[in-house]
Amino acid sequence: MLDTPFVPDTLPDHGALAFLLMQDVQDQAPGSPFTAADQRCGGALTRAMAAAAFTGKKGQSCIVLGTEAHARIVLIGLGPKPDARAYEEAGAAAALALAKDASATLFPAGPDAAHAAHVALGAALRTYRFDRYRTKEKAEDKPALQTLTIATPDPDAARVAHAPLLAARDGVFLARDLASEPPNVLYPAELAERCRALEAVGATVEILDEAALTKLGFGAILAVAQGSARGARVVVMRWQGAEGAPVALIGKGVTFDTGGISIKPAPNMEDMKWDMAGAAAVIGTMHVLAARKAKVHAVGIVGLVENMPSGTAMRPGDVIRSLSGQTIEVQNTDAEGRLVLADLLWYAQDRFAPRISIDLATLTGAIIVALGHHHAGLFSNDDTLATQLLAAGLGSGEALWRMPLGEAYDKLIRSDIADMKNIGGRPGGATIGAQFVQRFVRGPWAHLDIAGMAWATKDSALAPKGATAFGVRLLDRLIAANYE
Amino acid sequence: MKIRFVRSSTAPVRVVPVAPGAAPPRPVRARVAGFTTAPGAVALLVGRTRRTLLVALHEPEAAGALAIARLPADAHVAIDARAVTPAIAASLAAGAVLRGWQFDRLRTRPEPDGRIRLEQLDILTHDPEAGRAAWKLLRPGVEGALFARDLVAEPSNILTPQAFTARLARLEREGVHVEVLDAAQLYREGFGALLAVGAASVHPPCLAILRWPGDGSADPAVLVGKGVTFDTGGVSIKPGAGMWNMRSDMAGAAACAGAMLALALRRSSVPAVAVLPLTENAIGAYAYCPGDVLRTYDGTTVEIVDTDAEGRLILADALGWSVRQLRPRALVNLATLTGAIITSLGHAQAGLFGTDDRLRDALMIAGAATQEPLWPMPLAPAADLDSDIADILQCTAGPRQPDALLAATFLRHFVGDVPWAHLDIAGVEQRELGPYYDPDRHALGATGFGVRLLDRWLASLG
Repeated sequence: MLDTPFVPDTLPDHGALAFLLMQDVQDQAPGSPFTAADQRCGGALTRAMAAAAFTGKKGQSCIVLGTEAHARIVLIGLGPKPDARAYEEAGAAAALALAKDASATLFPAGPDAAHAAHVALGAALRTYRFDRYRTKEKAEDKPALQTLTIATPDPDAARVAHAPLLAARDGVFLARDLASEPPNVLYPAELAERCRALEAVGATVEILDEAALTKLGFGAILAVAQGSARGARVVVMRWQGAEGAPVALIGKGVTFDTGGISIKPAPNMEDMKWDMAGAAAVIGTMHVLAARKAKVHAVGIVGLVENMPSGTAMRPGDVIRSLSGQTIEVQNTDAEGRLVLADLLWYAQDRFAPRISIDLATLTGAIIVALGHHHAGLFSNDDTLATQLLAAGLGSGEALWRMPLGEAYDKLIRSDIADMKNIGGRPGGATIGAQFVQRFVRGPWAHLDIAGMAWATKDSALAPKGATAFGVRLLDRLIAANYE
Repeated sequence: MKIRFVRSSTAPVRVVPVAPGAAPPRPVRARVAGFTTAPGAVALLVGRTRRTLLVALHEPEAAGALAIARLPADAHVAIDARAVTPAIAASLAAGAVLRGWQFDRLRTRPEPDGRIRLEQLDILTHDPEAGRAAWKLLRPGVEGALFARDLVAEPSNILTPQAFTARLARLEREGVHVEVLDAAQLYREGFGALLAVGAASVHPPCLAILRWPGDGSADPAVLVGKGVTFDTGGVSIKPGAGMWNMRSDMAGAAACAGAMLALALRRSSVPAVAVLPLTENAIGAYAYCPGDVLRTYDGTTVEIVDTDAEGRLILADALGWSVRQLRPRALVNLATLTGAIITSLGHAQAGLFGTDDRLRDALMIAGAATQEPLWPMPLAPAADLDSDIADILQCTAGPRQPDALLAATFLRHFVGDVPWAHLDIAGVEQRELGPYYDPDRHALGATGFGVRLLDRWLASLG
């Protein structure tokens, strides 16, 4: 993991350097580290900028190689009025450009300690790797960068500003690790054990095993799990940083989803290892809240199951009894996520009477058809909560788009023989999923369908391709802005 | 259907709407018949000389529709509107007329039982003048919707692009100026996309331009409607099941034409133009192919991925032409464009895409007011349609593509800086039997979705 210490902003005598530069700032202050470096290189930096038409536009970069004192000097554009996100992205770009150097020193533009902290976070997020299963990777194929030193006028202030971001980094990494783990390694009981790591940062962790779930009546979750040799778990994580009714975060954690008897087609089925990304996001968020000692009472509840076809699996046509007492006709065993959420939401409301409930789930393919990979779907029965979430999405770069709920859709899940059925046709599929979940909701609630956002097939500004941990920074921001 | 506002009626059946809390006529018999004023409640009281249908009055159009839904066998019906305002009386009539619509032009034998036979509707009122005045406000939108429904229902062997333009004579009679560019003119003007889509059909494509001058005081509001009179999918042919429904793939053009009829009937002061690219998407030796690169009216080159994504192509030409030739104050296009919008929103509302918040809000308001609801949807970054060999990709290949928003993103390329909105009405242009369908509220089949919404929006510009 990339180390990002903060030091005073004096130019080191040698070693790789990076400068973040604002757009169209022609005259660097005399005596600034950039000016000093430029002078030391005989004006090579300003000449390179002119030759590359580097103006500091956002996303622009320029690399100067082979100066006497510094083998590599990286210049990254910040744009005209960079916000925290722009600093993160510039830090990320710098870290990528410096991948071949074991260590380097980065100078963010300006003295702002918060900006320096966001630079460090961006560099760390973008250089994340999940490589624990690589046994034969050659040294030259691995990124060399171990330490990116951030040079800033007030390192102590930067460390203070960095502390909550460090918590965010660790929460994001935890969520990415969990979603990346293969399903033979990360099955329900193992994922539940991994949640215990949160005890180290002060959260309480309670694991409900099959016996407990049976006793409590988690009929829907147990029905999903009954086809697997690996039993279900529900994990309750609590961070009590304030008094009062908690914020409840609910995550779908299907550690592998074959579809069950309604089995999925083989192509891309391996993607179904991250059908627990909702749970991973909740676990990651709980880690952030506890690690940064957030002044909030939060409860994270994840339902962990494996959905397998077997002689003991639930069948299409089965009627099951959920924890709420409502009966569900299962018409498609691959619509299992909503069954998991049904019991979790009911349990959360029964036990904790939360002020709001938010569930995250890779719930439907329909949301990918509706919104692609640019927004997660937001469904809510509460306009205030929806507005808060939309704002947190914009602020965190984890964008949401509101999608409809309504009686016209609810009709589609009426069953001939039970209280409801678990599918309602392809049209409006994401809304139907949300509508199903809403039948188990009492109080202000939002459902985030993150099926299109949990895993990226391309690198992005702040993450390599793979698990995104979508939801962690969004929820952290939501809580910081509205519930602390 | 004839509608009269009268003080008395000889109709053998009389509908009496009863608002919650109001006493029904013959309260004892009504109570015995189990009548309540809960939404959807009805009771039929059979007297010596005539029958009385009590209907609960909540939303007036719904009450009018409910009455007709429960009186299918009656050709002559009176609605007793003496206890309500003229505006509510007119809304009762609108609901009854819209519910009573059916497309029976192609029946050669008497209709089977259960089909509505309504021919004359009397609205009983103490003040027929006031009733007629209120109806005059509603009738244009209703007439426009019915006109659009007839077009949508008409089969494709009859409603060819040329036949569609012939139907526009109805609008000319009301003062709309109709111009049709034929295939030769389209060729000269460079409508490369519309011509490619229409190339395989024996019925050549054309572009209908409907102009309503209004008071000439402003640049026109421009409506653009997809008019694919039949969509086989072309070389990327559709599966056989359900393909018959593709006769309705001109519902966008029909809605725009219906809205122009409404505008003319109300002698609106708002200048408006509807631009309707009309074509079949057939298969044949001259068909365009996946992999082709087309040149649209505005010169953009488009790489074709799927010939069944033809709607966005003909709209691209029509939008490009509209932007250059009409100086639109706003541009709204309607199209049965994508299956993805049905996956997104089901059959309950249409998708609304656009670049202009004010226009979007105005259309949302108009949709809510006319019970033609819209749901706002996002656009994608333009880079999602980058082509390896042309200016832009028509769509993307593969399963689970977010095709509704990609189609909207494609269209945005052709509208420049003009305030623009796109309504993807696939899924709401027809009502079929099933869980979405409420027989007490709506006629089966074509909906005319968009006509009343556009009419309301255009009225708000005056």
